[in-house]
Amino acid sequence: GRGGMKGGTKMVIEPHRHAGVFIAKGKNNDDALATRNMDPGNSVYGEKRVSVENESGKIEYRIWNPFRSKLAAAIVSGVEDIHIKPGSKLLYLGAASGTTVSHCSDVVGPSGVVYAVEFSHRSGRDLINVAKRRTNIIPIIEDARYPLRYRMLVDMVDCIFADVAQPDQARIVGHNAQFFLKNGGHFVISIKANCIDSTAKPEAVFASEIKKLQSMNFKPVEYVTLEPFERDHAVVVGSYRPSAKDL
Amino acid sequence: MPNYLLFESAAGYALFERVKSEEIAITTDEIQQSLVDLARFSKIVKLKAFLPFTSAENSLENMNKISEGELTQNLVNFLEMNLPKGSSKSTKASDDSDSKESKKASKVRLGVVDPKIGNSISDTMGIKCESNEVILELLRGIRFHFTNFLKALKPTELIQAELGLGHAYSRSKVKFNVNRVDNMII
Repeated sequence: GRGGMKGGTKMVIEPHRHAGVFIAKGKNNDDALATRNMDPGNSVYGEKRVSVENESGKIEYRIWNPFRSKLAAAIVSGVEDIHIKPGSKLLYLGAASGTTVSHCSDVVGPSGVVYAVEFSHRSGRDLINVAKRRTNIIPIIEDARYPLRYRMLVDMVDCIFADVAQPDQARIVGHNAQFFLKNGGHFVISIKANCIDSTAKPEAVFASEIKKLQSMNFKPVEYVTLEPFERDHAVVVGSYRPSAKDL
Repeated sequence: MPNYLLFESAAGYALFERVKSEEIAITTDEIQQSLVDLARFSKIVKLKAFLPFTSAENSLENMNKISEGELTQNLVNFLEMNLPKGSSKSTKASDDSDSKESKKASKVRLGVVDPKIGNSISDTMGIKCESNEVILELLRGIRFHFTNFLKALKPTELIQAELGLGHAYSRSKVKFNVNRVDNMII
């Protein structure tokens, strides 16, 4: 049906403590995450839309479901900082069909950029279509294992988000950071334990992934597990080559 | 250590000259700081030349080759025009200026980010190419400051170039792949 949580339901939008993210509050305590729609009037993957009136006119928001997005799940799970905010340049590895990418595009806004890398051609088609309507998304259909292949497309970025679900994910992120992540930039990595090692305990997998990241100039700062939204998933956040004064 | 550096962007090719002659250590915080600080970084490298791509087709053609580590005529011409001349192939080496030039030529060492493109350049053009950790650090600095070196290219214009090329490259990948299974149309 039409956008809006429910026909006629009054929603109030409040800013979340993460800049560029919002909370849509309904009457019955049915709070939901939302982002301000860069492409008003359109949904990307059937998500609901909410409009609110203010002095400057109508503003539309899109509801962001933590069961469908690991980044949203990390926010609801209380991650301290996502390092993706209005104006950010973001390199997004494992963009899939562009559902979470579209929310990142809302968050960084018109002054930001999302370089969205996806290898699968089937998802890539959807991603290209999402990017057609959102000019702050640069679609890159390429293998994130070979960042040199897309070096002509990517500036130095503020943050790398990775959700590539590959056993060598840490190495992939490290390799991309070496070319594209600025000193003092940040990373946000979603780790699915059984993608790395299906026999080890999830906690052991997370710990060993964090060790790998440390060996590649990453300084992990925090990690949150994504229960109840995803099972045996964690999101690790930290900085890259921080200067002495950042530590 | 290289005395020139090649940087490939969505807007075109750029050639930088390395002006500081000392070997530099890359791990020290001081060097990392100079890579971030434009005033200090400008003392390490200078923009020598820039070749803008002339059209969407032109940039796509170049990216398709570069991403595979192959040369294009644009890149060959650009390097031939802007690196000091006087190759060993030159036959009239008798007069003074020529021999001076060939001496200079032997000193050209081009730093590149991708060893594959380095091999292509040295095999085809006889230019000595290098790729190592220090070069990667210098190219990180160039990527970080790129639009500051190119007065004619605004940051938003570079992003526009990346956007157009990203779409063109990605569309061509999705359309023209022959060996991927998941490309079937259901």
